[in-house]
Amino acid sequence: MIIMSALDSFLGVWEAQRLMDRTIEHLSMFAAAMVLATIIGVAVGVAVHRHARVSQVLFNMLNVAETIPTIALLVLLLPVLGLGSRPTIVTSVIYSVLPIARNTYAGLTSVSAEHLAVAEALGLSRREVLVHVRFPLALPLVAGGIRIALVFTMGVVTLGGLIAAGGLGAPLQTGIQLYDMDIIIVTGLWVGLLAVVFDALAGYAEHRLGERL
Amino acid sequence: MNIPPNLLDATVQHLVLTYSALAIAIAIALPLSLAALYSRRAAMAVMTGANLLQAIPSFAVVAIVVPFLGIGFVPAVIAIMIRALLPIIKNAYLGLRDVDASLIDSAKGIGLTEWQITRHIRLPHAYPPLFAGMKFAAILANSIAILTAIIGSGGLGSIIFQGLSNLNTDKILAGSLPTIGIALFIDASFSLLERAVTPRTASPERNIKKR
Repeated sequence: MIIMSALDSFLGVWEAQRLMDRTIEHLSMFAAAMVLATIIGVAVGVAVHRHARVSQVLFNMLNVAETIPTIALLVLLLPVLGLGSRPTIVTSVIYSVLPIARNTYAGLTSVSAEHLAVAEALGLSRREVLVHVRFPLALPLVAGGIRIALVFTMGVVTLGGLIAAGGLGAPLQTGIQLYDMDIIIVTGLWVGLLAVVFDALAGYAEHRLGERL
Repeated sequence: MNIPPNLLDATVQHLVLTYSALAIAIAIALPLSLAALYSRRAAMAVMTGANLLQAIPSFAVVAIVVPFLGIGFVPAVIAIMIRALLPIIKNAYLGLRDVDASLIDSAKGIGLTEWQITRHIRLPHAYPPLFAGMKFAAILANSIAILTAIIGSGGLGSIIFQGLSNLNTDKILAGSLPTIGIALFIDASFSLLERAVTPRTASPERNIKKR
């Protein structure tokens, strides 16, 4: 009886709030932000991996940017980017580039002296060392950075609901405004479940990459 | 630029919200991480819980609090506290656990009890990761204290959301700039604190889990 009524209110919310469409919106913003952040983050990590001084200054700056509250950044971009999914994706990328770049940098620079000596003895060029030695060895750390970025991005995309970006933050806001507990519980649990599942998948990928070495 | 007349009150409210949630989180996290140190079951539960909950978006946490506790200042403090708890517990536990084994052996060798070792050896050596965790939690708390304005906490978030609802740039700036200032202050003050309490025998980079 209780299960039936729970299922009933779940389906009611799912349809009334068009949670399927909202989920698709949510995940497309999420995917766009993650692809951009990964490309930029890895590129930045690779670009600075031979310049210790530059990388330190850059990472210190990004560290400071990371402390800015998400909503403050979202609303400050508003005059430039307007409302909607664009500022949401840009904000996600700003927060997510740091963990990916920092981990890529750490991975590329922590390759053991033996590996590098062997590569040199084989006569590999600097570029070949990067592609065939440093990068493969850095992969588990890169994956770890992407996993952290995943959690950040999920959080920012959910907040996008507050600046008319749609996604699953929108029904959460509706639920709070209407003081409708069913909407809040169903959407809240669904967002939480999605986040935990994505994090677990990323954790599994990270683990497998680490094992392979 | 028009400064909203209630800016000072809102800033004070924001600070009270942030720091009271942080203080409660620290008070709960430390005993829990000590418990985790002495019981493998507790350690498993604490770490699994922390890892799982940390992945959940803050907005979902803030919203889910409403059906259970309603809206207002207290539910907001609890929502922020839940979020700030996790990084502190995780860093405290890992810091206390991963103390150099030779230090523990020497302490045992000179006859210190288990509690004395925890108090005088493990705890001081766990300060760097512990304070890193608190810094992260404080920055998180400052960020979520804006969000909780939608569940009626008041504070700077209220000004931001008012500005957002009628696209009033002055209000948006007046609400958000102080939160950035507070974030920078938290970052700088906890970094100083972290450096001040780091024992000279411990290297500052050791064990610090950055998330």
